[in-house]
Amino acid sequence: MNKKVKHGTLLTVIFTLLSLLYLYPIILVFINSFKKKVYISKAPFEIPTGKMYVGLENYIRGIKQTRLIQAFGWSLFITILSVAVIILCCSMCAWYICRVKTKFTKILYMLCLFAMIVPFQMEMFTLSKIANMLHMGNPWGLVVIYLGFGAGLSVFMFTGFMKSIPLEIEEAAMIDGCTPIQTFFRIVLPIAKPTCVTVTILQAMWIWNDYLLPSLVLDQRKYKTVPMAVQYLKGGYGSVDMGAMMGTLVLAIVPIIIFYLFCQRYIIEGVVAGAVKG
Amino acid sequence: MKKKKILALVLAASMAGGMLAGCGSTSSGDETAKGDKSSGKVYYLNFKPEQADQWVELAKEYTDETGVQVDVQTAASGTYESQLKSEMAKDEAPTLFQVNGPVGLATWKNYCYDLSDSDVYKDVESDDYILKDGDAVDGIAYVIETYGLIYNKALLNKYFELPDASIKSIDDLNNFQALKTVAEEIQAHKDDLGVEGAFTSAGMDSSSDWRFKTHLANLPIYYEYKADGIDSTDAIKGTYLDNYKQIWDLYLNNSTCEPSMISSKTGDDAASEFALGEAVFYQNGTWAYNDIKDNEVADEDMGMLPIYIGVDGEENQGLCTGSENYWCVNKNASEEDIQATLDFMKWVVESDEGRDMLANEMGFVTPFTTFSDYLPDNPLVKANAEYTEAGKTPVSWNFTTMPSENWKNNLGGALLNYAQGTGAWDSVQTAFVDGWAEEYAAANE
Amino acid sequence: MQKAIKRYFPVFVLPTLIAFTIGFLAPFVLGVYLSFCKFTTVTDAKFIGLSNYAKILGDGDFLHSLWFTALFTIVTVLLINIFAFAVAMLLTKNIKGTNIFRTVFFMPNLIGGIVLGYVWQLLLNGILAHFQKTLTYSSKYGFWGLVILMLWQQVGYMMIIYISGIQNIPGELIEAAQIDGANKVQLLRYVTIPMVMPSITICTFLTLTNGFKLFDQNLALTNGGPDKMSEMLALNIYYTFYGRTGWEGVGQAKAVIFFIIVGVIALIQNKLTTSKEVQQ
Repeated sequence: MNKKVKHGTLLTVIFTLLSLLYLYPIILVFINSFKKKVYISKAPFEIPTGKMYVGLENYIRGIKQTRLIQAFGWSLFITILSVAVIILCCSMCAWYICRVKTKFTKILYMLCLFAMIVPFQMEMFTLSKIANMLHMGNPWGLVVIYLGFGAGLSVFMFTGFMKSIPLEIEEAAMIDGCTPIQTFFRIVLPIAKPTCVTVTILQAMWIWNDYLLPSLVLDQRKYKTVPMAVQYLKGGYGSVDMGAMMGTLVLAIVPIIIFYLFCQRYIIEGVVAGAVKG
Repeated sequence: MKKKKILALVLAASMAGGMLAGCGSTSSGDETAKGDKSSGKVYYLNFKPEQADQWVELAKEYTDETGVQVDVQTAASGTYESQLKSEMAKDEAPTLFQVNGPVGLATWKNYCYDLSDSDVYKDVESDDYILKDGDAVDGIAYVIETYGLIYNKALLNKYFELPDASIKSIDDLNNFQALKTVAEEIQAHKDDLGVEGAFTSAGMDSSSDWRFKTHLANLPIYYEYKADGIDSTDAIKGTYLDNYKQIWDLYLNNSTCEPSMISSKTGDDAASEFALGEAVFYQNGTWAYNDIKDNEVADEDMGMLPIYIGVDGEENQGLCTGSENYWCVNKNASEEDIQATLDFMKWVVESDEGRDMLANEMGFVTPFTTFSDYLPDNPLVKANAEYTEAGKTPVSWNFTTMPSENWKNNLGGALLNYAQGTGAWDSVQTAFVDGWAEEYAAANE
Repeated sequence: MQKAIKRYFPVFVLPTLIAFTIGFLAPFVLGVYLSFCKFTTVTDAKFIGLSNYAKILGDGDFLHSLWFTALFTIVTVLLINIFAFAVAMLLTKNIKGTNIFRTVFFMPNLIGGIVLGYVWQLLLNGILAHFQKTLTYSSKYGFWGLVILMLWQQVGYMMIIYISGIQNIPGELIEAAQIDGANKVQLLRYVTIPMVMPSITICTFLTLTNGFKLFDQNLALTNGGPDKMSEMLALNIYYTFYGRTGWEGVGQAKAVIFFIIVGVIALIQNKLTTSKEVQQ
């Protein structure tokens, strides 16, 4: 017994060290975000003191150059709205596929499976052209595209779950006079809540961090998402302002970490559930 | 049952409607922003990242004054062509864009509005500064620029005063051999002089590699054209490639950093090395003044030398002067937008605000007659004027005849590999000579 | 009931169907067609048969990126899964602070690839500077830089999946094996690994496709440098489209090939999973 405890303590120590090492890259960026820009690539591992220290200057410059606050707003808007639309539309579509057995629904389901394996590069050029022709180069249009592109995985996951809901409950509701719409929202959707959480987590992680799709589709003069803002720092100014870059990186990371600490349980469960079904 | 069906349709319609309404709603937002005075608007896709902020500011001033909406978007360094391509395909395409010279014009001439009746054209000093396609004026240069070896006079004087300095005056520094001697002796005495190296880092990050794959490569091309009496070619011979090699070697061997580091050195790195007085020479142009001013190096200590590559008679060589910034107006834009764009251009070169911004804030020398009272307070521009007065021959910008972006990229890759020791000079030669013929053929097929 | 629901087709299916058509089906079909065309925008496409595909064969950069991506994928699949499985084994042993460790290891997943790329660029270039090298000195540095970055990002994700797999092994099974005198290695070999086989398949597949499709991290960390030597497939396709005038068709043809590769991997994975399920 004694031996086992010692063993455990040793592992705890090792893992503590490993965890610190794991967090180190982020800590390093945090430290450098207070350093004058000319010193960042010269002395990345030094603590900013004396003339190296610039206070919040990098943050201010980063926010100004990238219009980061707006980018946050748009990222938040696009992510929340897209996920909401995906959950609503795809769950409904999935239920229809489960309950109506026709050739059409079968084909639709197969197409959804197919969509899951097609890499984005295959669609990237034509999608951006089509989106432009349909005047979808704005956050609203992007939501529609995310619904279309995210439908594959979401419909697949919802059908997987809804197949297992016993038909009797729904039939009973219908006999009681519920329309299919009432049945869906009162009976089916509440039962499918765990899947909703899973889909939300997976899609939100994807959409929030997505760089390529919004950068090709959105009208960059008006709208930027957070990843686009970060990448813009690298490109838009001819040379890289490492100071502003560090500030922006910290600002892009911190809200995510806070969000993660609060919703950790759901996120981890969502990932597990998603993986098992996917 | 029927009721339910109708309900279903209404619901579906409202959902689809919500989606589609979203698609159309941006244009309504624009209309309110546009103001009432004019229905046209301007979208300028700017090539020069160094002045990105100032253009945005200038556009805002114009909008405040006239109510006409002006959007300015700046492409990232090295991505102008691709961004122009993707923006031109959109239906809100740029109304004002740039080409870099004859090669750029060849790609875009079908998009160029004839500017021969425009006010801006009437303000141009001479036809040297325009691009023509037949009789049509397709492009107008808006900035004349000069590049060479920017140097720190104070540091160089400190070197001249060294007891064992072989060169004692700036007047003797007028050929490659002298430059090489100076650079190597500075490198050897870098601790005495308090510098990190003779030259700033030859960064090959995309924010800096154009200084070598394009601007430095101009010199061998210039001398070859001059020797052959031509001004463009479908197959370069590479007569002066050995000179290209020796200047590149000089940069690499007498630098602030090891050649193995240059792949990720940025334009900012080189600028800050010069600005902080860590290096004596910095190959760049008049546009770099904004990046290096107000630091350790005082304005009166900034000078510019011609880039000597070891060609006979180079004592009379001047700085490299020309333009790769030609304004073109998109003729596919709506009539109102074209008019708005022409008005904006006129305002930029004729109004006090526009002239002040271009000359004093952006530091541009322009080819417009309206700018006689607006000469930039840029010591690098003054250096060029001195060389011209002394009767030196300016080097023209022949890099605008390079066959494609891909040619430059391949040359850059080969230069980097050679510098790091991961490739041989042969591959630079291949990229330069064979690549030229291939890319020229591909671009003109 | 089926009939009743069927009438509501416009509500239940139409919105998704429209978006799916715009966002997926139409671009896909058009994309396949355009791979046989020469074009600069979609409207001026001219059918030219297979010559785009022929051009790919002569494109050394593409073949290099294919090879580079394949190697990268093999290395990351192996390393990520080994590390993730090992960490998962240790973290299911009731060590103090397990929850904190899990939280920490999982965290990098939530940060986007672009942001991660620049974070690691700072760190790795900082370390390499001591040896007078940088990430873009040669493709080797870029390669291992990307491997480290991917390990950091994905070990946590896969670990979570393995942990849930390990925790689902019935305790009686392990006890029974122990009573039968199985030692630790035997326990791992004959009980744990077979029982978490579904997790292993999932994680292998996820890491496989993640490796093949990698784009953001590649763009941010090395941007393909030096001289396109650390350019992976997705980035190569991107630059063919947007970096070279006149090569759009070739880019689309490359994308089709890319799709076929990813599709074949998915099919193999699917086959493996179904056959495993039958065994159980």
